[in-house]
Amino acid sequence: MSGATGGVLRLPRSIRALAAILGAYAAVAILAPWLAPHNPLHQVLLLRLRPPLYRSPSGTIYWLGTDDVGRDLLSRVIFGARASLSVAILSVSVSLLAGTPLGLLAGWFRGWPAMIIMRIVDSMLSIPAILLAVLTVAVLGPGFFDLILVLGLTRWPRYTRLAYAQTLQIATRPFIRAAELAGARTGRILRRHVLPNIAGPLLVLATTEFGLMILFEAGLSFLGLGIQPPYPSWGSIMSDGRQYVGRAWWMTVFPGVCLFGLVLTVNLLGDRLRDHLDPRSAYR
Amino acid sequence: MRRRLPLLVALLTVPLLTQPARAAGKTTLTVDLANDAATLDPQLQWDTDSYTVYRNIFDNLVTRDVTGKIVPQVAAAWHYVNPTTIVFTLRRDIRFQNGTSLTAADVVFSIRRITNPSFRSPQLSQFDTIRSVDITGPDQVTLHLKTPYAPLLAQLVKLSIVPKAYVEKVGNTQFNEHPIGSGPYRLEKWQHGVEIVLAANGAYWGGKPPFPAVIFRDVPSDATRLADLRTGRADIDHQMTPDDAKAIARDPALKVLSTPTERVGYLFINAAYGPTKNVLVRRAIAMAIDRNAIIQALLQGYAKPVNILLTPASFGYVSDVPAWPFDPKAARALLEKAHAVGAHLTFLTSPSYNRQITEAIQQMLDNVGLKVAIDQVDQPTFLRRREGPAAHAGNLAQGLWSCACQDADGTIWPLFHSGSIWSKYSNPAFDKLVDAARTSLDPKQRLADYHAAFEILHRDVPGIGLYQAYAIYGARKQLQWMPTPNEAFFVMSMRWK
Amino acid sequence: MLRLVALRIGQAAVSIWGVLTIIFFILHLSGDPTLLLVPPDASRHQIALLRHELGFDRPLLVQYLAYLGRLLRLDLGQSLVQRLPVARILASRIPYTVELTFGALVVATAIGLPTGAAMALWRGRWVERVLVPIVLAGQSLPTFWSGILLILLFGVVLGWLPTSGAQGFSALIMPSVALGALTMATFARMMRIAMLDELSRDYVTAARARGLSFVAVVLRHVLRNAAIPIITIAALEIGNLMAGAVIVETVFAWPGIGQLAMQSIADRDFLVVQAVVLFVSVVYVLSSLLADLAYAVIDPRIRLTP
Repeated sequence: MSGATGGVLRLPRSIRALAAILGAYAAVAILAPWLAPHNPLHQVLLLRLRPPLYRSPSGTIYWLGTDDVGRDLLSRVIFGARASLSVAILSVSVSLLAGTPLGLLAGWFRGWPAMIIMRIVDSMLSIPAILLAVLTVAVLGPGFFDLILVLGLTRWPRYTRLAYAQTLQIATRPFIRAAELAGARTGRILRRHVLPNIAGPLLVLATTEFGLMILFEAGLSFLGLGIQPPYPSWGSIMSDGRQYVGRAWWMTVFPGVCLFGLVLTVNLLGDRLRDHLDPRSAYR
Repeated sequence: MRRRLPLLVALLTVPLLTQPARAAGKTTLTVDLANDAATLDPQLQWDTDSYTVYRNIFDNLVTRDVTGKIVPQVAAAWHYVNPTTIVFTLRRDIRFQNGTSLTAADVVFSIRRITNPSFRSPQLSQFDTIRSVDITGPDQVTLHLKTPYAPLLAQLVKLSIVPKAYVEKVGNTQFNEHPIGSGPYRLEKWQHGVEIVLAANGAYWGGKPPFPAVIFRDVPSDATRLADLRTGRADIDHQMTPDDAKAIARDPALKVLSTPTERVGYLFINAAYGPTKNVLVRRAIAMAIDRNAIIQALLQGYAKPVNILLTPASFGYVSDVPAWPFDPKAARALLEKAHAVGAHLTFLTSPSYNRQITEAIQQMLDNVGLKVAIDQVDQPTFLRRREGPAAHAGNLAQGLWSCACQDADGTIWPLFHSGSIWSKYSNPAFDKLVDAARTSLDPKQRLADYHAAFEILHRDVPGIGLYQAYAIYGARKQLQWMPTPNEAFFVMSMRWK
Repeated sequence: MLRLVALRIGQAAVSIWGVLTIIFFILHLSGDPTLLLVPPDASRHQIALLRHELGFDRPLLVQYLAYLGRLLRLDLGQSLVQRLPVARILASRIPYTVELTFGALVVATAIGLPTGAAMALWRGRWVERVLVPIVLAGQSLPTFWSGILLILLFGVVLGWLPTSGAQGFSALIMPSVALGALTMATFARMMRIAMLDELSRDYVTAARARGLSFVAVVLRHVLRNAAIPIITIAALEIGNLMAGAVIVETVFAWPGIGQLAMQSIADRDFLVVQAVVLFVSVVYVLSSLLADLAYAVIDPRIRLTP
């Protein structure tokens, strides 16, 4: 498990390259106000669904064309990176932070606490995620933070289950026994010895989930429950444009390509990290 | 391996067991609906998709002709004995699809059934003023009302007559799945979530049905319905967006059928909460909205601007009450006068309403200095908030109103009468006028009352009418049909060219 | 072994009860369907009357206990919107869901597993570099978009397949591909990892040292051992495929339980939503139980863990 503690420079080239692409995406999201040529919310109703490279009578160039209410698509795609990335990052963080400690505790103490926690996990996992999300949105209401809460609340059991299984394995290792015999407090053992050893698989799961969350937000947008209009996310731009696939391909193709690139990068990164962290690459 | 083969074959053929694809022929009319019918018991449901299907299976007590006039159907004639008593004389030549005659007993049964609270008909509210109904002659039925009620006949357009003996014999659940009516089509097969197949009733009293069979398919996605129409899988797309309508205009095999309806697109403005409590702010909002831009750019001209919150297709429409003109400068001035520049408003909406219009209105209001946040929730939540306390109903909300009764009573009474669930506004003078118009049977007096009521609404602006919505159907070129303002989908009125 | 199986079944029952409880309370917190049922001009009094007739004015706990009571008598109740027994509504949709799930699994297995194996065998070579983006594409595009693209291409432009509906084998192809694409990527990645894991084991080296050809080793040993984790994943995916097909079913007008659930949530038709979730969770729990048992049978060293 030395890879987990290795420096960034010792990471393989492919991982560094993927991380760089991810960094570029993040940079676009952060620098959106400076990169976008127009206000992503400004509509010109008379210039709806104009194709890429369209030059308006007043001389403005719309590089990627306009959307269905006449907003600059390029600006919306750039700003959309913000929503899509932050929804994914925050919701993954919420479920990671909520799910891991529960799994850790269940795996360490076993017995009744584990029984209760794992039964809840089983229940949550057997409810189809999209239905649970739609229902929770109906209860919590719309809005950016509610959306993150909904996604986080729907996905935490996945981390709990993994953390639980990993902790069960680690707990039987000799070095944990040794630490116990040396009189270390439970909290310290969990933090210093167990957590670092289960972090790798959790991180890999987080990368897969990251991609899924971006798609999940897109799915909710399709159902009208994603990022609130008029703010753009890639999912919501594509959902708005789905009616125009045949006539205004640009509305779905450009955000679609961005989304595809990001999810692909993150998934590849996950696979590479898994290979790297565990060269024998044991299942889970 | 050889022994396992049959199992494998069996597994692979599972999908083949469902019937093979049907060739779309000229004998069958195929309609793509956005949803499956919820029920085919005509007294149990209130939604357009069910309505679209079952109106072809059943006859109603009265109906509307192409011009919107109320004309006989099951009832051949009627007259008022006094303002709360009305006598209907029935046709004698109507038979249900199982061969039994439609009699006065069936009409009485249908009315008693729908007005019985424990039957839990969602349509109860439309017939709630009926106190009792009796057979008063061989072909005669007399209705007694609790109070005089002007829109009664308009409501009876929606009263389908069900066969008493059959319903009592098979029970409500069975009737819902295997309904029998007296209409031009009978139910042949209902595959929930897939399609409803109707077959022509050769013995229909009103003439020969135009197609031997009609199929209503359940296709929720707009894009998929359009693809079905293009490939000939469907002959009519029952619900088409204005943008799609514009797109198929270029297709030589297809055409757009559209008509102005009684449905009015409006903007609700909360007069009981937040910055919109101030009437100046409400007027400013009314003057900030450019109806024509919405209609021309977003609805592609498939709508007409309205001056009041009612369409010309409804009784009570008055053309001489003005709308607030589009005037951003004046709107801004009003906001300054009200010290409301930069005020924060919430705009409640749901995926059921046109998102483009919501976004356009938001920008128009932003242009005059109002900060509008869109709150998009799912439709049940939208309705719950909209009918709840004023503080949760949003300052603004889009709406698309139709009472399916083509009468002002069904629109402005529920929207603005004090104490009505949708109303976030109260004006005793307005209440008095619409109450009087509801119970008066004199059309002239009613029209005068509505005129005065709309003038009050114009001054107080608890909501503004934006446009008269069109029904837009996409169809094969060969189909001949004139859609009607009440969005009735009578297959009887269609023909192949 | 038997005791453990009994214990697992007991736990499964508890999970399912948990599912029902979670769904019941979330659903009821999200409002009731009365307003959706009535015409817009209904009065407050008429709405209250219908709400009372439907029983939504009772305390939540009373409604909950009544629901559990009915369920214990195996009564799923009646749909508020369709006014039909929920069991009958559900039963009419299940065949379509089974067809689609089966179709998606066939697509996922037939494409995903060989691709995953190829990715492992040619790890780091051009084969893997080409395959990875193709495989992941299925998992990186919103289905509402890829579905419409499929319809436009194969339905409208080429005219090979029907644009919507559920009649016949040809109508099943596009929805299966759209739905299977998600699972295909998961299968391929799992297969790749499982294969890499097996390939690095000592027995492979040993067998090759004994002179067995590489192909023979892969076919005889590696694939069999790699199958174990794949079975588990497949079992867990079934539940996801069944009701997770919401968007695919909507786009292709496929009348499965996913669309039914979505429509019922939109209608707040509580009993139907609860029945769908109940069905899916039973399938989920049963299939993961079977996977565990299969696991234990294939490899006796693995013990069932509570």
